[in-house]
This record gives sequence, structure tokens and C-alpha cells, in this order.
Amino acid sequence: MALMSIDKLSVQRRLFDACLDLHEGEVLGLIGPNGAGKSTLLNAITGLLPRSGRISLGGQSLEQLGSLQRARQVALQPQFIESVWALSVHDIVSMGRLPWGDSDQSIIRQVMEQANISEFAARHVDELSGGERARVWLARVLANQPRVLLVDEPVANLDIHYQQEVMQILVDYARAGHAVMIAIHDLSLAARYCDRLCLMDNGKVVKTDTIGAVLSSEILSPVFNVEVYVDLENQPPVVLAQ
Amino acid sequence: MERLLNPVLILLLLLVALLSLTIGTLDLEVSSALANWFSNLLTGKALTREALIVGEIRLPRTLLALVVGAAMGMSGAALQGLLRNPLVDPGLIGASQGAALGAALVFYFNIFPGLGTLATPIAGLVGAALTLFILMGLSGSMARPAIIIMAGLAISTLSSALLAVVLNFAPNPYAMQELVFWLLGSVSNRGLDNLAILFPAFVIGSIMLLMQRKLLLGLSLGEQVADSMGLEVTRRGRYIVLGTALLVGSSVAVAGNIGFIGLIVPHLMRPLVRYRPDRLLLPSALAGAIFVLLADILVRQLPPERELKLGVLKALVGAPFFVWLVWKERQRWL
Repeated sequence: MALMSIDKLSVQRRLFDACLDLHEGEVLGLIGPNGAGKSTLLNAITGLLPRSGRISLGGQSLEQLGSLQRARQVALQPQFIESVWALSVHDIVSMGRLPWGDSDQSIIRQVMEQANISEFAARHVDELSGGERARVWLARVLANQPRVLLVDEPVANLDIHYQQEVMQILVDYARAGHAVMIAIHDLSLAARYCDRLCLMDNGKVVKTDTIGAVLSSEILSPVFNVEVYVDLENQPPVVLAQ
Repeated sequence: MERLLNPVLILLLLLVALLSLTIGTLDLEVSSALANWFSNLLTGKALTREALIVGEIRLPRTLLALVVGAAMGMSGAALQGLLRNPLVDPGLIGASQGAALGAALVFYFNIFPGLGTLATPIAGLVGAALTLFILMGLSGSMARPAIIIMAGLAISTLSSALLAVVLNFAPNPYAMQELVFWLLGSVSNRGLDNLAILFPAFVIGSIMLLMQRKLLLGLSLGEQVADSMGLEVTRRGRYIVLGTALLVGSSVAVAGNIGFIGLIVPHLMRPLVRYRPDRLLLPSALAGAIFVLLADILVRQLPPERELKLGVLKALVGAPFFVWLVWKERQRWL
């Protein structure tokens, strides 16, 4: 049985009847052109947008949960995060425990090691580089320990080294008995790290299937409006505009 | 060091309060005067002259300065956290202008005549509540920082315009002078009965703010993150606006315009709490109380025939600080 199932999820003028299943242990990639509705879908699942349709988590309707209970189960990492105040790295990671109302040090220590940021726990976040900061934001959402982790463009502004590191952290988190949904533009990275893909266009789900079934030139080219070159045999797989 | 901050501030506050009770034109023994004043309160024992001076003049003035300072400091810290902007002053949401307008109407129309000296603070509180009501309606359910700031600006501009109308049509020069002096802000010549209005508003307002500390922390990473963590920004944010309006409205209603404390104090305290917006509230309240009381002690040292109003002194110190803040902010972007 699916961990989370989404049935006819709609947001006025932006998302239309999206249906989707998410299984325990898997990384599902949301792909599609700009404006396809990937972020809208993630925000709607989190409850940040007025929505219609049904979402159930472990057989229970998400609507029945209070906002804090929901936040313990489903956490969102938005695309753009910035800390207004010069908080310390440790304080930011601890914020992941806000929905739980505790500051469980063992979890905080563990996720800081996972994200490889333990060495600068005491530093102020505004002194860090973009790549270091991205891992701090990630550790914050991991400290939340959600069953379903929604991540919006986690690698968009990172160099290739940090891209790999962040994607691997997300895969590891999914394998530890959770589920991860990632909105991602880099199709080669999606092919390499995701288990299944959901292709979206114009606020609708076009196709949700395995990597091989979604990533083909015939399917991608009309959606992205450009000839797409696909080589899934290569290690790592390559998906690029021609 | 952070753990020592509040105890140190409390100690400082007590020292400054003692200083405020001691300093005056008449040298007297504060402890025995206070003891005499309290025993008069409890048992009706005859008052000495010293007890009268300390209990009826210096004590109300000291307590008012403390509560007003604490209210301004804490509401500034909370509002800067809510709107995620270090340049925000609690006067920005229009509550102080609304309070000033309400109080001005008392001077002009003599409304609430039955309330005696309490008419001004009560009318001020009503004025603050009304502006808040309009602010909530105007900023709507999507309480985004920019909208709150714009709505606050619109309302305070409107209140200032109406205040100008009241001043323009003042019945006589004396009423106008009285009103202008009141607007300049002061904690002198206010009886202990003013505290009966200020104190409950202060307690309720600060509890409302202190209960939203989690939201203030969560908002450091933006509304989207705070909302996704189940902190219900729109609903809980209203408590912060409401609490701030209670604190600012009641303070202005009692003491007139004592600006800039809400802007300066959170700034000075922020590095001492490692920039945590949730831990900033209490130190800002304590430091605000100390600042206002110190300023009032300073005002009292000046020659009495032409009193420098507390609000004027605050603005004189506060405005250059504001210039410095803008300068510092500019450096960040260069």
C-alpha cells in the first residue's frame, strides 16, 4: 500500500486533478517545464495553498490532522530560503524540531553529521558559502524527521560536487523508511537518483512511471518544446536538450 | 553569558529604580519613607512628608517609566520579528497615532468627563483599539509584512491628519498648549491610578507576545517555512499585532509619544541573545524599562522651570541612532 496517496488534488487555476502515489523508501522526482505546477503541487500537499481533493497518509486523511500534527508527518523544503537574522547553524537545525516542541539533541547531532555540517555548528549562517548553507537548510528539514519529505529544487544553485552530496542525503533518507518527493530541473540527476518520475505540464500530471518509461525523447520533447537527447545506458545517465 | 543576561538586566533595573526613588530636590531616607507609605496603605497610619513625596510622586513616576519602557521594548522586538525587518518601530502599525488622536479628543471635546484624570488614557486606549481594528480589516487575511507596513502607514497618516485637524480647531491656545505638551511624552504628574489602566494592558499584551515565541523563531526562515512547520502564520501573527497594539496603545495613552525605544533597544539586545528573535522579547522589555527610567532621571536633573519632555529627549537620542542604522544597513549592500 502506498504511504501517501493523492487523489484529484486541485488548486484554483494552477493545478488540476493531480493523482499520485508515493511509496515508503522511494524517491519520486517531479519534472516538467517552468510553470508546470511542481512547486504548486508541493505547496498544496503541505497545506500552504487552499486546495480541493483528497490526500491520505498511511490510510489517514491529511485534512483530519491539526497543523502541527501534519507538520510532524510532512515537511517542506522550499526552493528559496533565507535567514533574516544571523542565527547560528545549530539554532537553525534545531528549528526542525519546532513542530514537535522539543529540542532532541541526539537527532540534531545525527542530522548535522548526515549533512556534514557538524564542524560549523557554532558559526553564523550568513558567514557560510551557498553550498554550505544548502546543507544547513537540508539538515533543518531532516531534523523534522517527517515520514514524507517534500523538496523543491534542492540542487538548483549548487556546484556538481554539492549536487551529488545533497541528492545522496535525500536518497539515504528515503531508504531509512521514509519517502521523498523532489521537484527537479536537472533531468540527468533525476535519472540517476530518483526511483520513479512524475512528469507535469500546464498544471496537470502527464505521466507517472519508472525512469525508463518517462525519460524518452518522444515523451519529453513535446512537453519541453525542444529536442531532448536521452542516453540511459551511460553511467551516469545523460538527458540533455539537443 | 547569554544565561546571565536577564538576571543582570533585572539587577540593573532594580538599581536604577532605587536611584529614581532616591534622586530628587529633597534628600530623604527612601526605605523608611516607603515603609511608612505602605503601612499607611495597609493600616491607615499617618503619612510623613517624606512618605508622601516618595509614595505619591516618585513611585508612580518610576513605575510608569518602567512599564512604558518595557512595553515599548518588547513590542518593538516582537514586531521586528513578525515583519522580519530590523528597521520597524512599533509606532509603525498606527497604534500610537490612534492613541494620540483618542487622547486629543479628550482635550478638545472633553469626552468621558466622569472619568476625571483617567479620561485621557482610556480615550487613548479606545483610539488604539480602533486603529488596530481598521488595520486588521485593511491588511486582510493575507497578513504579509509589506501589506501590514503599508496599512499601518496609511492609518497612521490618516490619524496624524485628524490630529492636525483637532490641533487646528483647538478651542483656545491653552488647550492647544496642553495637548502639544501631552503629545511630547512624559511620565511626570501622573498618579498611580494611571497604572490601573496601563498595567493590565501590559500584562495581557506581553503574555500574548510571549506565547508566540515559536512563531517568531520559525519566521526567521520566512513565512513559507513557518507555515510548513504548522505555525499558522496568519492566525498567530494576529496575536502579535494585537499584543503590540495593546502595549503601544496603552503606553502612548498614558505617557504620550515616547518613540524610538522600540527601535533601538531590540537592536542593542539582539547580539546578546545570538540573534534569536524568540529570546529577544524579555531582554528588550527589561532594557527598555531601564532606558526610559534612566532618561527620565536625566530629564529630572535639568532646570525645572522649562521641563524638557521625555519624548523629546528620546527623539533627540533616537534619531541619530536611526541615521546610524541606515548607514550600517547601507554598508551591508555595498
